[in-house]
Formats: sequence, structure tokens, C-alpha cells
Amino acid sequence: MLPLLGSNRQPTFISQIPNPDRRDSPKMDIDPLPNGGPAAAVAAAAVAATNAPSSKLSRLAESLKLEHQLTRVPFEHLKKSMRANHRVVEKEVSAVVSAVSDAANAPGEDDAVDRLSSLVSRLQGLKRKLEEGSRTEHLQAQRCRARLDHLESADPENLSEWSNTRLKRIVVDYMLRMSYYDTAAKLAESTNIQDLVDIDVFLEAKKVIDALQNKEVGPALAWCTENKSRLKKSKSIFEFQLRLQEFVELVRAENSMRAITYARKYLAPWGSTHMKELQRVMATLAFRSNTECATYKVLFETKQWDFLVDQFRQEFCRLYGMTFEPLLNIYLQAGLSALKTPFCTEDGCTKEDPLSQECFRKLAMPLPFSKQHHSKLVCYITKELMDTENPPLVLPNGYVYSTKALEEMAKKNNGKIICPRTNFGCDYSDLVKAYIS
Amino acid sequence: MDVNPIKDAFDRVAKKQKLSYSKTQEVIDQIFQEISDTIEKIQNTHKSDSRSDYKALLADLKTKIKEMAPLTLLEGTQKELNVALSKYPKLLEKSFNPDISKAYRNVDLDTATVNYIIASHFYRQGLFDVGDCFVTEAMEPESIASIRSPYVEMYQILEAMKSRNLEPALKWATSNSSKLKANGSDLEVKLHRMQYVEILQSGIRDEALSYARIHLARFAADHFAEIQKLMGCLLWAGKLELSPYPDLLYPANWDKLAEELTRQFCSLLGQSFESPLGVTVAAGVQALPPLLKFMNVMWGKKQEWQSMKQLPVPVELDDEFQFHSIFVCPVSKEQATDDNPPWLMPCGHVLCKQSIVKMSKNLSKSFKCPYCPTDIDSGNCKALYF
Repeated sequence: MLPLLGSNRQPTFISQIPNPDRRDSPKMDIDPLPNGGPAAAVAAAAVAATNAPSSKLSRLAESLKLEHQLTRVPFEHLKKSMRANHRVVEKEVSAVVSAVSDAANAPGEDDAVDRLSSLVSRLQGLKRKLEEGSRTEHLQAQRCRARLDHLESADPENLSEWSNTRLKRIVVDYMLRMSYYDTAAKLAESTNIQDLVDIDVFLEAKKVIDALQNKEVGPALAWCTENKSRLKKSKSIFEFQLRLQEFVELVRAENSMRAITYARKYLAPWGSTHMKELQRVMATLAFRSNTECATYKVLFETKQWDFLVDQFRQEFCRLYGMTFEPLLNIYLQAGLSALKTPFCTEDGCTKEDPLSQECFRKLAMPLPFSKQHHSKLVCYITKELMDTENPPLVLPNGYVYSTKALEEMAKKNNGKIICPRTNFGCDYSDLVKAYIS
Repeated sequence: MDVNPIKDAFDRVAKKQKLSYSKTQEVIDQIFQEISDTIEKIQNTHKSDSRSDYKALLADLKTKIKEMAPLTLLEGTQKELNVALSKYPKLLEKSFNPDISKAYRNVDLDTATVNYIIASHFYRQGLFDVGDCFVTEAMEPESIASIRSPYVEMYQILEAMKSRNLEPALKWATSNSSKLKANGSDLEVKLHRMQYVEILQSGIRDEALSYARIHLARFAADHFAEIQKLMGCLLWAGKLELSPYPDLLYPANWDKLAEELTRQFCSLLGQSFESPLGVTVAAGVQALPPLLKFMNVMWGKKQEWQSMKQLPVPVELDDEFQFHSIFVCPVSKEQATDDNPPWLMPCGHVLCKQSIVKMSKNLSKSFKCPYCPTDIDSGNCKALYF
């Protein structure tokens, strides 16, 4: 009663399926990639070849590879503490060494003993500091390990709790980047994931950001000094930008003499590489803060401070090996694109589809639609996937539902089928099977 | 993914760190010792009144420390540590995707919308404290108040259920009885059944019977067999575990009931059962790996990526993310659209209209189905609606 053809005939002729990737195939010359340029087509083909439907395990492995930030940030934090602690030791030891040389010139014996005693207590202080530093380092190293353990604990058979934690981590990251520190702390605490999020790292950024928002560059400059060698390595000009702003503020305050002294001291060293910016900002001395000249007016605008905040955030993220964008935005964007189909905006869209909601649609608007290489049919009635276990059946009017749903309907209705979308009626025996490959 | 090599590498870093710490300590201790010794010597010479020169002792100390070369020692340990410190991040970069933002398109996600979604998520998950904190920190409280209050009610009902109190749940189900029925849900009868079982198990048979008369009788039409079974239970009041229906006492029944209630509650609110934020992020986790692979091949051609109308690579999500029927023509590999709908051929195989048009030379000739040897007359094909 059902199919016109026995399903056992399918495999025999499988070799006749035209290969869609072969452009010279006689039956088709349809471009397999309607969008993107030729480079995209080649790249897509290369990726598609390796993107076979993956097992749970490899899917999990792929998802864990996205966790670079989780492992990198605590390590950078640890590295920073180690370097800083070492610098303290070096400084102190070299001070003690030179103080010992000086002591040789002590005018009297008592004086010499005093000097040496003060060195002894200085060394004792250093030892304490060293121990303290080592304790911090130890905690930070533990955190690095905790993250690796967490990655290891992901069990492909029981992922729901792990995935929940991942979502929370991603949301905490968003809170920290958007400066919603209270929520970040609260969420981390209430779900006990403090070791998996970087609240303390971001508190360091908070100090600088708060100050910049108050139009103070002090903490930002201090931060630059702290990270001098690494900023230099990445060719950062953040410090220069801060100096420019400070200069502009002196000009705004009509403090020309101080501005010039400041420029000699702090701007001139950048002249060899950034002459243009330097010249431009020097010209503000002539134009002053009430200028209407667009080139210079913009330098006096308050949004320059917002720009500095942004700039700082970028430098900060780079230093710690974080993405510039909040993780949430990256995951949301990828997820929205993958879920976006032309059907999401139709009336019958199920509530379980995030894109049935207005706010999600709004976010997805500028994003591309998903692309799939395999048919996946969802039964309109049961919302279940139609596959070989539960194959699709076609009503005479062309509407398709799952075997399960139609069998159920026939059982309740004495073998009668009524199409829920068109009210078309027929017998169960009128249905034909459709083969979807 | 094997985390062990990374762990080993980290252990090497930690080992070097310990080594450097103990060496540093040693250096400091040594200087400390030398200076203390010198002090003692100076003081001793003073007591014994031998006129040996403190200056000589100081010069001695100076030479000793100079020979010790503490700064060179420190530098040496630091150098060793630095090697480990620079190796480890390289391993991380190799083991992980070092920059997942490569697959990010530079379109701003509207912050207010994202915040609204997050706040709704917190309330939906019952994290009211966190949600309230977030709303005060990030948004206008008025915009979200209407989302909060229904979830407060839902979690009150669920909390009560956790302490085996069904009253609030029953009250809600009764007042939404018709809506639940329209949804095809029999939550109401399930709640009453649970209540009945609770009464019965506490041993008060008469009360259970009268409860059944008042609350269960009206469901007789649709749940005849079920009610018969429940009546049978009356014989085992207080010792249901010995009855033929011990499954009625399973603690898991409560979890299932709570889930069902949550599902229906959300549905009546017009919301999904799963948090949409959670669903989208989980979909993103599955979508990013293929997108990143593509971007690595495409690097330098970011322009194309920014302007695409459809993702350049197929992204296969797990079945749980499949909310719509997608038909991909097995010949053209294109997704069906209203203009290019799926057509059913008489043999039962399905292709997109355009492919059939091509193969039939504009519907003028019969052609062979690419899947079976049937000759297809295009006049006998018809459009399908999934």
C-alpha cells in the first residue's frame, strides 16, 4: 500500500547519483555555490570535504578547541606575576649589592654595623615578599590546572551540565567586558565557577577604565609601564595616545608653557615614528580648544576619552590572549547564522526556535542564512525529524507528514487522513512514500 | 581532545617555577648569611679588642658577594624559566583555535537587545538575584518587569513541588485548564493523580476516595483505564509499594511532572522550554569549528565573508537544533525555496524543480531518475510541501 518502489532497490543504483562537485558532469552545470566569489567556492569545497557528519566525540573535541581563552588567560596572568616578582627580587638584590659596596666607605664601625643591619632587615623583607609572591603564583598555577581539568572533565555522554557551565562562563565574560562587574561576580559566585572565569584579571582593567572615564591617565600610564616590554613587542602606540591626550588637556587649560615642556619630554621620543600625529597635536597650540577647524576640533572632543577606553580594552585583550569581541557575541553570531533559515519568520515557526522571538530576529537580521548540504525534514505535526525510521509520507495534495503522525491520525479516525494545513481529506491508503536522500 | 600533553607541558612550567623560586631563595639566603656573619665578626673583634680593621671585613664581604655574582645567578634561573614560559603558550596556540573571532563579522550586535536576552535568560533559569543585579547594572528595569513576574510565579510553584506541595501547581493548572487542553496537555490530570497518590500513601483511604470523586471523575472520558488503575490502588492504601503499581511512587515522577509543568508554563507564556540564549550559544559552539576552518583557508579575503547572504560552508547542527524542514536537492545541492520547490517524481524520489526542468530539457522530454532506472515524465511530478 505504501511505496511505489521497494526501498531495497535504492542501493543497487546508487552509483548513478551524479557527483555534484564535478563541474563536467553531463547532467548538471549548476554552480554549487550561489554566493561568494570563486575563492570562496574553492575554500568551501575544501572544508565541506572534511566536514562529514561528525560523531559526538569529534564534535566535542572540536568544541573544546574553541577554549583557547580559557587556558591562555590564567597562564598570562601567572606569567605576569612571575615576571613582576622576579623584577622585585632583582631590584632589591642589586640594591643590596651596591649598598654593601657603599658600606665599605662607612666612616665608623658602628655606622658600618648599622648599615649592614639595615641590609639584613631589608633582605628579610625581601624574603617575605618572595614567599608572598610565591603563594600568589601557586594559586594562579592552580587556576591554570583547574581549567585544564575542567576541559578534561567534559564527558561526551553527559554534556548538559558542562554545557550549562560553558554558557555561564561565556555570560560572565560578557559581563566583565561590558563592565557589569557586580553581575559577573554574583553569577560566578552563585554557580561556583570562580576558578573558570577571570574576574580578578578584569578588575585590573576596571581601575584603568574607571580612571579614563574620569579623564585621568595616571593608572593607564602606570599600566603601560608595568607591561612595557610586551606593549613594545606588539608595537603598541597606546602610551603615545595617552600622552597626546594629556598634551591636549594642557592646551585646553591654556597652559601652553607646560604643554610645550610636556611635549619635549613625552611626545618628542615618538617623533621618529609618528611625526604626523605629533605635528597635528602640536598645532593645537595655535588653534586652541575653541577652534572650529575640523582637523583640530575633533582632538578636543570628549569622545577621544571613549576612544582611549576602547583602545585600552584592545591592548588589554591582546596582552592576555583574549578575543577583542566578547565570547558571547562570537558564539551568538555563529549560532544565529547557523539557525537562520527563511522559515524562521513564517507564522508557524515553533516557539522552540530562538529565531521565533523578535529580539533574536533583530540580532540575526544582518547575518547570513545557514547552509545545509543534507535534507532534514521536520514533521509539521509531531515536530520530530523524519528519517528512515519515521519516513515522510505524501498526501495526494503534495503535503508531507511523518509516518508516525499519520499512522496515529489514521488509528484515531478509522483510516481517514485530514491535512491539518489545508483540511484536505483522504484515506491512509492514498499516501505514497517519498525518498529523501 | 587529549588534554594530557598540555597538562604535562604545564607541569614543566610549574617545575621550572619551583626551581627558580628555590634558587632565588638560596641566593638571598646566601647574601643574608654573609652579611650577618660580617656583622658578627665586626662585633666580635670589637669585644676581643683586637684592633683588626672592620674595613678589611667589609672589603672581604664586598669581594665575597662580588664572587657570588647574585645578579648573574638570578638572571640564569630566569632565563631557564623564560624558555618554559614561551614554549607553553605556543603549545596552547597549536592545540586550540587561537582566535575564534576570525569567524566574527563586524556587525554590531545591539547591546540593549543582547542585555534584554540575557536578563530574560536569568529570570527564565530562576536566577532572580543575578537577574535583578544585572538589570540594575545594565538596563531600564521597566523594560523587563513583565518578563520577571510570571517566572517568579513559576519558580514558586516548582519550589513548592520540591517540598511535595502540589497546591500552587494545582491552582495554576485549574485556572489555565482550557488553555492546557488546547495545548493537548494532560498536565492537570497528572497533577491530580499525584495528589491522589500522596493522600493514599499517607493511609487515609476515605480522603483519597473523596479526592478522586471530586477531582478525577471529570477526566473519566479520556482517562478511563488510568482512573480504574488508581481506584485499584485504594486496596493498598498506605502500602502502595506492595501493590501492582509501585511505579506510582517513583521519585522520578516528581521530576517529570516538574518538567512537564515548566514546559506548559513556558508554552502558555509564549516562550520556549529551553532558554533561547542557551540554544543559540550551543548552536554557535557547533557552527564555529567549520566556520573557522573555512576562514583559515579564506584568510585575507575577509571582504567576501562580510558580504555573504548565506554561510559559505554547510553547517550541520545536531537534530535538536532542527526546527524547520530543509530540503536540499541531491542534484543541485541547493536548498529548496518557494520558487524552486521540491518535486516528487513518480518513483518516489524527490528533486528540486529546477533540476527536473534542466534534466527534462525544459519539461519537454522524459529523463531517467538519477536514483533508479525509472523513466520520468515531468508531467507526472508534483510539488511537495513539508
